Amino acid sequence: MDHMSPVEKGLRGIALSAVVLFFMFPIFWIVLMSLQTNETILRSPPSMVFEPTFRNYIAIVTGKLDSNVASMDITFMRNLWNSILLSAGSVAVALLLGVPAAYAFARHKFRGSEEVAFTLLSFRFAPPLLVLLPLSLYFQQIGLANTYIGLIWVYQLICLPLILWIVRGYFEDISPDLEHAYRIAGHSWLSTFRRIALPLAGPGIAAAGLLAFIFAWNNFIFALVLASADKQPVTVGALAFVTASGIQYGQIAAAIVLSIAPTLALALYAQRYLVEGLSLGAVKG
Amino acid sequence: MATASDTSIPRRRFSVSRRVLPYLLSLPALLVCIAILVPFFTAVFYSLQRFRLSQPWNRGMNWGENYLNFLSDPDFWNTLQVSLTYAFLTVGLELLLGLGIALLLKKRSRLNNFISIMLLMPLMTAPALAALMWKLMTNPNFGILSYFAAQLGFPDFRWGSSPDTALFTVLLVDIWVYTPFIMILLLAGLRSLPTQPFEAAALDGVPRVQQFWRITLPMLTPYILTASLFRLLDSIQQFDIIYALTQGGPGDTLMVFQVEAYLNFFQSMNVGRSAALLMILWVITYFLSNIFIKNWLRLRERARGEA
Amino acid sequence: MPELRIENLTKRFKNETVLDGVSFTVAEGETTILFGPSGAGKTVLLRCIAGAVDPEEGRITIGGNDISDVPPEHRGIGMAFQNFALFPHMTAFDNIASPLTARRWSREKIQEGVEQVAKLLKIGHVLSHPPRALSNGQKQRTALARALAASPEILLLDDPLRNVDAKLRFEMRLELPRLLADQGATVIYVTQDYKEAMALGDRIAVLSGGRIAQIGTPEDIYRRPASVEIARHFGDPTINLLDVVPEKDGGGVFTRLSDQRVPLDSGLEAAVGRDCVLGLRPEALRFSDSPDGIPVEIEAETPFNEKTVTLVVTARKREILISRPAGTAAPGSGTARIEVDATDALLFDRATQERIAPQHRGGGKSEAAA
Repeated sequence: MDHMSPVEKGLRGIALSAVVLFFMFPIFWIVLMSLQTNETILRSPPSMVFEPTFRNYIAIVTGKLDSNVASMDITFMRNLWNSILLSAGSVAVALLLGVPAAYAFARHKFRGSEEVAFTLLSFRFAPPLLVLLPLSLYFQQIGLANTYIGLIWVYQLICLPLILWIVRGYFEDISPDLEHAYRIAGHSWLSTFRRIALPLAGPGIAAAGLLAFIFAWNNFIFALVLASADKQPVTVGALAFVTASGIQYGQIAAAIVLSIAPTLALALYAQRYLVEGLSLGAVKG
Repeated sequence: MATASDTSIPRRRFSVSRRVLPYLLSLPALLVCIAILVPFFTAVFYSLQRFRLSQPWNRGMNWGENYLNFLSDPDFWNTLQVSLTYAFLTVGLELLLGLGIALLLKKRSRLNNFISIMLLMPLMTAPALAALMWKLMTNPNFGILSYFAAQLGFPDFRWGSSPDTALFTVLLVDIWVYTPFIMILLLAGLRSLPTQPFEAAALDGVPRVQQFWRITLPMLTPYILTASLFRLLDSIQQFDIIYALTQGGPGDTLMVFQVEAYLNFFQSMNVGRSAALLMILWVITYFLSNIFIKNWLRLRERARGEA
Repeated sequence: MPELRIENLTKRFKNETVLDGVSFTVAEGETTILFGPSGAGKTVLLRCIAGAVDPEEGRITIGGNDISDVPPEHRGIGMAFQNFALFPHMTAFDNIASPLTARRWSREKIQEGVEQVAKLLKIGHVLSHPPRALSNGQKQRTALARALAASPEILLLDDPLRNVDAKLRFEMRLELPRLLADQGATVIYVTQDYKEAMALGDRIAVLSGGRIAQIGTPEDIYRRPASVEIARHFGDPTINLLDVVPEKDGGGVFTRLSDQRVPLDSGLEAAVGRDCVLGLRPEALRFSDSPDGIPVEIEAETPFNEKTVTLVVTARKREILISRPAGTAAPGSGTARIEVDATDALLFDRATQERIAPQHRGGGKSEAAA
């Protein structure tokens, strides 16, 4: 394997460079764009030489955009806040519901447990609109329309299967004897769960939580159907922003950068667990 | 070591029976699960109705009529064709690319690991936002890709806004976002393969191209199958990228199932047809997901066995 | 310290019956060995007692109280697991202290209690280490210390020496009887090693196929095994088993080996004419110069430290092992004659594989196999 001809080495190098270029360039370019004024963006031919400016970011953060034409309000910070709230809330709920259930499925093969676990999993693969469209009508009727609670509940469609199946694997990897030993030593079921099962599955729970957060953050369709303007996360908000701001390309780029930065940062932080999480535990990283 | 009095364990006020406990623990998740089944069955019900939000007076059961209408509905056949084309093209191309990249990065070195981590970034970008990024890059006024296209002799390359190139453009975005998914799964698979067969083959002087076809590929098949099915399930339901980039247009070029159903619901307000479309998509994904789950479970057992 | 009584315990997993109506009693302060091949249900039985597994049928009582509905934490049991089951995220100290924290001891008392039991097991110097930093022997002692820490009335030891090396096993086999005696607890000790069983047990319960095949003192099990299987499990080298048909004449009951008379216990009259298996312990055989001895051909000799084992073959090509203390003289090779002690010969029914007990004066001593 190691004895490569120089030609082969060269080809590999070129192929790898092309791969890196293709996958990294869009992010690189959008970051560059976010640091430019509209004038430099619209130059032709495009050039890498420009004076970087943070005006676009400042405009978004302060919520005020003053151009020579008019003054405009930007509500994009609101979208960012919504994304944080929705993603964090969904993950918290999913952990609260999913971790005990994952434990039950891992430890007690009770009647119907596999069926329930699979039903939950199958939600992950069903067309989301199938559930979302009727829900959009129901939500109006039961007053959940345009509430965070309603959205967080629907976000469980993404978060819950993920947490259930990853954390279940981690619980299954803990020897039941450890828990037996702790209980026989005199501890209640609850304290055994807290002192033995939870800490030992800790890394898995953290990884699943992080991934669930990323998936919730990146979700588009749920909020597009169910949320009105003031509850929209960045994914939907950015699209609206493009329509509303028209030709303020620098701000659009800055908004996109702000929207993708958190998930990219989390992904790099949790990259050790990504493979396992993305495949729902089918492949160990 | 201890006196009799303090060998007893403090009793708690209640203790949960071993038989009830698992049900109790999974009950909350179960309730959420059941609550999600309600809209599902509602959708089934809608699909059997004549139901337009704009004509509430005209609502009523029409049983299979929505489905029967599809048979003579060119829009439906277009949707089916576009969805399948999109799904198979994306998965096929991503598989080839992903496998190629995984093979390039197979050897564990600092550089390879770094690159494989960097390649995760597109995958972690929200697909809707990725579509916006590409929309900016293909902007006719300042888009860098439009500029490149012009330099290469296509001054009027219109990317997503021309029916001829719209599919190509969304494919590019889909490939950009999801190739890393297939790549990291196959990379993990490649790296978990036992080394003995390769060493033996190398000793026997088997050329590397043949090693790939005879050893690598067969051993990698479960991973390839799982990754492809996983992607196929997602891809046939693709919404975010297409909606954010072209809203299914231009015309009906990219009217895949979910986009068509979404527009049916919110623009034409034809709930019945929308629900029937989604039911058909659901049937397709249901069969795919059954095959997928079988493969996935097998792989999961294996991964857990190795751990 | 209470008596532990197990009545008619039955446990099934899916369609497989793992325990099939097991009943026995462990008297106060006694150590009972649960002996059997792997898969016999020993571990499951222990788990039923500890409360980690719920039996389908049967009762378990401690000191007369039914504990079937008592959760594991209130059974007052100490248990050491075969795989140690040390909590990997806690230090050895916290592992050993876990039964004491459950009993809400004060910090000082816990400190004192852990140190005391650690000293007893000679692991005082590794208390601050996590399990992964311990050697196998230290892990095993930590697991034992944890089981003993709260001075439980019932102590369950699941093959604690299985996963430690031979030298350590030997040391612990010497150390454990004193340790268990000091505890005064009622002990059930699971093992697959017959020497461990003989060395540690007041009584041995032999479990086979989910049932108690025999229960008795080590002496009982060895001298009067209930079946061919049990006879084979106890003893090293393994007991010699020869197909015979006992006969009777004026001289009493006997059988033939290579046309030589092997006298049998006179109480075995009932076995005459039946297809039987003769069980001869290698150490119950000896070389002899007597012309009545059975002629054999010496095949091979294997010297061990404390004994020498010789493989001989009879005229009918039946292989027999003979064991004698190391250093005692014996014919080196060629032909020789061997002699059997009638009182040591065991007779089993070939069809049922059960031992045929000698009948003296109306039944004699009860040796019933459960």
